Amino acid sequence: MSSNPSDVETLASLGTGGTDDRLSFALVLQLFRRSTTLLVPVRKHMALLFLGFSVAGVAGALIAAPLGIAFSNSVLVGQPLTGLEASLLGLGTEYLGVGTEALSSEFRMDVAYRILLVGGLMIAVLTPSLMGLYYYLVWILQRVNQVLRVRMLEQLQRLSLRFHSGSRVGDAIYRMVQDSSMVTKLIEVLFIQPVMALGRHLFGVAFVALIDWRLALGLIACWPIYLALGYYSSRPMRVGFRRARETTSDVTSRIQENLSAIRVIKAYGAEAVMAEHFEKESRTAFDAAFEARYRFAIFNVSVFWITGIAFALAGGFAASRAISEAPLPAVLAITGYAAWNFGVFNLFKERFSDGVGALRSIFRIWANAQNVAIGLDRVYELLDLEPEVQDAADAVPLTGVISGVRFEDLHFRYQADRPALEGISFEAQVGQITALVGPTGSGKTTLVSLLLRLYDPQQGSVRIDGEDLRRFTVASVRDRVAIALQENWLSGATIRENIRYARPSATDEEVREAARVAAADDFIEALPDQYETMLGERGAKLSTGQRQRISIARAVLKNTPILILDEPTASLDAATEARVLSNLARWGQDRMIFLITHRLGSVRNADNIVVLEEGRVRESGSHSELMNRHAAYRRLVDHEVGANARAAAGAAS
Amino acid sequence: MSGLGEETGTSLRETFALLGRAFSYAAPFKARFVAKYLLALLSLLPLLVLPWPVKIIVDHAVLGIPIGEQPLPYPEILSGVMAMLATQSPEGIVLILVGVQLVLVALCGAVGTSGNERDFADSMLSSGHDIASRTENEANYALSLTSGLLGLIDWRVMIRLTQEINHHYRTALFARLQRLPMTTFDDESIGDAVFRVMYDTPAITGGIYRIVVWPFVWGGLGTLAALCLATFFPDHPIFWQAGLGLMAISFLAGLPFSGMLRERHGDARREGSNATASLEEGLHNILAVQSLGAEDHEQDRFDKDSWASFSQYRGVMAIGMGIVLLGAVPGVTLLGFVAYSAIELVVYGAISAGDFGLLLTYFIALVAAAFSFGGLWIRLQENAAGLKRVFFVMDLPNEEDPPDATSCPALCEAVQIEAACFDYPDGTPALRGVDLEARVGQVTALVGPAGAGKTTLAYLIPRFVEPASGRVCFDRVDTAQASLASLREQIAFVFQETQLFDATVDENLRIGNREASEAQIRRAAQIAGADDFIRALPKGYHTPLGRGGGRLSVGQRQRLAIARGLVREARVLILDEPTSALDPETEQNLVAALRTASQERAVIVIAHRLSTIREADQICFLDDGRIIERGNHAELMALENGAYRSFVELQSISAA
Repeated sequence: MSSNPSDVETLASLGTGGTDDRLSFALVLQLFRRSTTLLVPVRKHMALLFLGFSVAGVAGALIAAPLGIAFSNSVLVGQPLTGLEASLLGLGTEYLGVGTEALSSEFRMDVAYRILLVGGLMIAVLTPSLMGLYYYLVWILQRVNQVLRVRMLEQLQRLSLRFHSGSRVGDAIYRMVQDSSMVTKLIEVLFIQPVMALGRHLFGVAFVALIDWRLALGLIACWPIYLALGYYSSRPMRVGFRRARETTSDVTSRIQENLSAIRVIKAYGAEAVMAEHFEKESRTAFDAAFEARYRFAIFNVSVFWITGIAFALAGGFAASRAISEAPLPAVLAITGYAAWNFGVFNLFKERFSDGVGALRSIFRIWANAQNVAIGLDRVYELLDLEPEVQDAADAVPLTGVISGVRFEDLHFRYQADRPALEGISFEAQVGQITALVGPTGSGKTTLVSLLLRLYDPQQGSVRIDGEDLRRFTVASVRDRVAIALQENWLSGATIRENIRYARPSATDEEVREAARVAAADDFIEALPDQYETMLGERGAKLSTGQRQRISIARAVLKNTPILILDEPTASLDAATEARVLSNLARWGQDRMIFLITHRLGSVRNADNIVVLEEGRVRESGSHSELMNRHAAYRRLVDHEVGANARAAAGAAS
Repeated sequence: MSGLGEETGTSLRETFALLGRAFSYAAPFKARFVAKYLLALLSLLPLLVLPWPVKIIVDHAVLGIPIGEQPLPYPEILSGVMAMLATQSPEGIVLILVGVQLVLVALCGAVGTSGNERDFADSMLSSGHDIASRTENEANYALSLTSGLLGLIDWRVMIRLTQEINHHYRTALFARLQRLPMTTFDDESIGDAVFRVMYDTPAITGGIYRIVVWPFVWGGLGTLAALCLATFFPDHPIFWQAGLGLMAISFLAGLPFSGMLRERHGDARREGSNATASLEEGLHNILAVQSLGAEDHEQDRFDKDSWASFSQYRGVMAIGMGIVLLGAVPGVTLLGFVAYSAIELVVYGAISAGDFGLLLTYFIALVAAAFSFGGLWIRLQENAAGLKRVFFVMDLPNEEDPPDATSCPALCEAVQIEAACFDYPDGTPALRGVDLEARVGQVTALVGPAGAGKTTLAYLIPRFVEPASGRVCFDRVDTAQASLASLREQIAFVFQETQLFDATVDENLRIGNREASEAQIRRAAQIAGADDFIRALPKGYHTPLGRGGGRLSVGQRQRLAIARGLVREARVLILDEPTSALDPETEQNLVAALRTASQERAVIVIAHRLSTIREADQICFLDDGRIIERGNHAELMALENGAYRSFVELQSISAA
């Protein structure tokens, strides 16, 4: 679907539907039709479930129907039983009324007793079976929901960092928890309820038409009124539901964001202001929910007003027909009724009320369906985003030995008017350490992001052994490149699990070895629980420098041919940094290491130093080459050495 | 196990305490509860009226029984109406009663009492099959026993009340979360907090309604129906007695399950919050996830957690089914017996067909009320589980001012830390008796190996952590007595890992000093070396930054954080490794700027880089929770075999 917007273009419109209604009647139906594909994976379960419900339903109906007839005919009126009824109830031939016109009171009570007994048995068997079937249904629906949730997460993880920097975590949580749950209502909204209701309605119309065609017309006359009501209410309801979902998702985001930044809020005494923001947004969300539900409630109340009026009028009409004992159409002669009487009145009322009641439930479902549709629409909003970085149709996995990486005239920009990289070209060979240096914002991190395919370049290419990186699948590229990040994230698990994060299958020995390379083994082994030390809230608090070493160990453990260190040593003291770097140099003899750093002392042993400035390669070469050139690198080094020399001078004096 | 934590197991006694506390939470909304209460009682009245028009039409119009000749007399209250109707022809009676029914439809949305003939004003929307998605309805819960105009009013009063309470307490919970000690929060507890604020707080309204409103509504409905049965069928007490029996059955059937239900419901909530937490953590750290190629890992984790939450929900559902089954045996037997008795009355001609309908109507109402009333206790167990999670956070120790907190006087001369000790939560000591004086007009540098306790020491000053022993003083006055707000007002803290808000640059800089002028902001940005790149942004200072400032490089973010600290214009400026991601030139500018800033401030800087430290007036070298050397650069360099000196020499060698 190439017509879909890419994740970047849609940023502005995600979750800001506001007051416009993107759906129409036709689109709602289309949305539902599309959603039915979500049910495909569970179709066998659905079929089995349907079978189960059918068996229970048919068995119930087959027994209940004759019992009901026997109850009204024999118990209430005293007519003899039919043969079927008698055998069902296990009663003898004397109840068949041979020779008797009517059953005696005692016999009638016997029949009543038997009916209650059989009814009780039916309940005893059917209730647990129906419960079991319902449990099964819930399991199926949860499966559908689960699959959708995981698919949404998969999609979110495929979307580029650019999408994520513009979207809110709380919104994603809301979409995955609340919006996605609407998928479980699909079957109800689409199949079971409307079909059953429509059946009941049509049966009602047909039945009432037999008694009096004018009353059937009355029933049909309700249609246009309901339709008009539905037509004019659907849009405001949809707008309301969407706004309610968006504002509640904003509240979710607010909590998530504020608690993520709690340190700054506390340090700057911003708690009150933040609480005020929250208060305002929470109120907005409740107001929006109220508005949506108010429209929904009014719609439902109005639907009943129509229903009730039809009811009262038809009831009055039928009563007056019964008073005058108006003749019935000849068709009904076979039922034994020739004219309106109490029985006909009751029969009519039952069918009519059921016919109108069915209509009412169809429109209630329709109103509910608007909410379901908005939820699903928000799910598809996310699922339909075209990931900025994705596998080409003929993508192959990146495998085998890698001997070199070449950056070729690389251009990249985050935003149209702000170039981040402009024509970067250089090469790195296996066994080499390439250092990227340059001022803040010069594009160093961006450059290595392209190597990980966190983004794809707009122009130029990254080539591995001559092949464009875009020819390879994203997953395989990230599999073969490891990175230790500038801002590292450790999860609330043990140190061992954290180091193993990117390669869960690694052995304990490998974990220890990686920790040793990262110079993290000393402090880890000094902890009481060593590698089993829990990190996070109730666990040990590590300093930034310690966390950085764990994240280096994590990257080392991944054991990839390419390793990127994005200033992971910034918080290490010089002695530790020197140890880490010499360990890495030894470990990386048959690999490619990219090192981003501001500490020029750490890069002098690099095989190639690339100096970046404003997205361009200013110069590159080895330390001594660059020092002899007396240009950008030399200036940077002099700057730092000058500072240190002054410090050393201070030491000497 | 993740999240904010929680003790497990809820005793019966504790359950009562939880519910009692929820009840007390209704106090601020007393007036509105009275309104809802009255409306709920009013909404029972139509039930008294509704069966009569139907009965009168059947008996006196359709069946043509003359008024006065029906088997049972009409109640006293209807005598006037019946006398009036007695003068009418059957058609006239029908006409009048249809009119009455139309009025009833408009006012209370019902023609009769059967399912198709009446309506309830509500706004229940579809929800999924897990705790979280169910709570949307709970947070906006409203139900009237009538419909039509009365029902709409009743519904409106109730939904607004529900929302108001939920709004009130989720705001309170949020404020409470913000006041928790800073060290409480870690990545994995944020999703849990989201779950508690959004999905656990509705348990409060659920609990309150089940204690305050529903017992009286169901009790009222049951009493009313029982009274009607006793009045109209005085010779057959079996019907109202059966109602009482059913109530007892539905109460007793739940009883053996109540403890189990509480636990399972708590489990379901915990699993739901786990799923939210793993989702939150994975998305919040998406850069790390994508960079490390850990998408599958995160997906598996969420898959597992999400399914666990679904499964727990089914567990709760299964208990509910168990309760129904247990109650069904005696319940169905009793109902069968009642039905048999009613049939007997019809068969032996004791009551008319219309009376039978009346009997059925009231009996059904009684049964519904009895089941609802009897089931209240078991439903309350679900609320107890949510309440426990809410109150748990409400009761966590939070940053509180001492009872007689004073306002911290403006710092004039120096911040002193005296003999401060602090232990990490796992018991390892972080600080072992540290003395430090940071003077206004000076730059104090804290130096030392990773894990030496530098950040913890700095955290003591704004009381992000409280010392286990020792004092933190402003001008020799202990700050432990000062209110947190007045203390922190004087401090600007720039953290090691920068945190920016999804707002504009300007708003981000202003967070600590809302009244700052444009010029102040600009100056602070210039000092921090941020002005140039800010102005190059599409909308300059008014460019939105996106989530976590994600559109900026780490170095740029760090410079914004420093600028933010400078905008605060506080007497104490603490910077925790502010320069680690800066290039040497920016760093040098910053160091110069700190010098200038220190003229009117006490500046404390934690750093590794020699170039940042060198200029400090006082350098404290920390190792293993102690300051082992202090002095200025020259003094410390003069120490033979000094720790600082070897630290400097290592850097100089590697850089030279």
